[in-house]
Amino acid sequence: MWSCWLVPAFCWLVHLCVAQSLRPQIASPQLATNNPTFTTIALEKPFCVFDGSLSPGKSYEVYLYAMMDSMSMISSAVTDNSSKPLDSTFQEVNGGQLGPYKAAVLNVPDCASPPKLADIRNVKKASDVLKQYLFRVGDDVSCLYDPNFLGVCNPPLASDTTYRFKYILVDETLGIMKDETLWSDPIKTNSVKKSSTIDTWPGRRSGGMIVITSILSVLIFLLLAGLFASVFFAITGSEDSATTETRHISQTVQQVAPRPQASSDRADQ
Amino acid sequence: MAKGDNGVRCFQGLLVLGNVIIGLCGIALTAECIFFVSDQQTLYPLLEATNNDDIYGAAWIGIFVGFALFNLAVLGIVGVIKSNRAMLLAYIILMLITYAFETASCITAATHRDFFTRNLFLKQMLEKYQNPEPLNNDDKWMSEGVTRTWDRLMLQHECCGVNGPSDWQNYMSKFRNINSDSEFPWPRQCCVMNVQGIPVNLDGCKLGVSGYYNDKGCYELIAGPMDRHAWGVAWFGFAILCWTFWVLLCTMFYWSRIEY
Repeated sequence: MWSCWLVPAFCWLVHLCVAQSLRPQIASPQLATNNPTFTTIALEKPFCVFDGSLSPGKSYEVYLYAMMDSMSMISSAVTDNSSKPLDSTFQEVNGGQLGPYKAAVLNVPDCASPPKLADIRNVKKASDVLKQYLFRVGDDVSCLYDPNFLGVCNPPLASDTTYRFKYILVDETLGIMKDETLWSDPIKTNSVKKSSTIDTWPGRRSGGMIVITSILSVLIFLLLAGLFASVFFAITGSEDSATTETRHISQTVQQVAPRPQASSDRADQ
Repeated sequence: MAKGDNGVRCFQGLLVLGNVIIGLCGIALTAECIFFVSDQQTLYPLLEATNNDDIYGAAWIGIFVGFALFNLAVLGIVGVIKSNRAMLLAYIILMLITYAFETASCITAATHRDFFTRNLFLKQMLEKYQNPEPLNNDDKWMSEGVTRTWDRLMLQHECCGVNGPSDWQNYMSKFRNINSDSEFPWPRQCCVMNVQGIPVNLDGCKLGVSGYYNDKGCYELIAGPMDRHAWGVAWFGFAILCWTFWVLLCTMFYWSRIEY
């Protein structure tokens, strides 16, 4: 068994690709980087898978079935006893818990001219390339709650759950299944982490902060010490100069006092 | 002062020069801090919502400290030239107070810069961006600020999330509560837009096809200006304080040597 869908070069050896040995594949991770998400999974469409079973002149459709991958035995049959495909909906099987549900009805992909993935860069062709190449399970958010919705509902999947998918080829006029692939490998939707688990503690302090804090603290201390020292020296310095001044004054007073006696003596003579 | 008049004149000249430099640095500090406070990139709402906006407080202190330094430098020059004890004492006391404020500003800016991690902004973005049910008016104000800022950042700089669009896919968020993952794996602003402001290819954006969504993270655009702000306030203030320390010490020495 070999799968020919691993690279975007599609299967040339059409007649050797037997559908019963192939499985649906997830869309190329180089193209669709956001896949799978919490609630969606994008699958490659089944290119060149059913071409061996197509008869000319008849119209065919491809049905996609999805179910949860579970340990317990649940019925994974997608057809009833007369090969008619089941019409189960998402609500009926509890989102895939109880069995497969029909997620989509697609046209048979054109094997002769598959979309060139390099064209995705071209803005005009990008939509077409995406529509032709892949199918996004879980794309429709409103069909579950819309009472007027009549088509096949493809509601968002559950997060942190494994799903398996299967494509079947259905003859439109007869309404019976012509061919089918295997169930895909289990594909898991992403799990969420709560935002409260994010740790915002910055860890250790940066070197710059430590340098600034320590040096500035030391400088402030030195300045205050310098202030007290200069005030202290200023006060003791002024006391010294005050004592020298009082001695200076008393000497001049004594010099002035004897002179009036000398002048009065001369006046007496 | 009788001893060595030349020595005294030289010392006075040095003090005057020191004060001139302090005055000029004060004006520069005021200008720099006004520039930071004016918040050219309008990132303040992000800081406000983290309750960690003290680098703005440090910048505000820097504005007033710079102005005070300029005025005190003028006072110091006049006091030194006139050798007036009262003036110089006033200068020393006021300078010490200004010194203390500037020290506080520098330490605050340097310390709070350390809190800016990717996780801080990531958590805030997840909890406040497009928060549909804020708890109170304060929360509402902060949530609206965060939403407005992120919308503008994502559109202007073509980036998404803090580390990348995967942030929206890896964590639960208030945004995710009201916007289903299927329709909005990440905000529409993460999509590459055309000139009308509409995503070029919505399916490509939702699937993560390169070229139709912005896969760059916005963290550098947030942290870059904030780092420059914090370091500018902290280190320039530190440099001024180192210089002012010497001028102040010499002025104290000069003051203690003046005779009445």
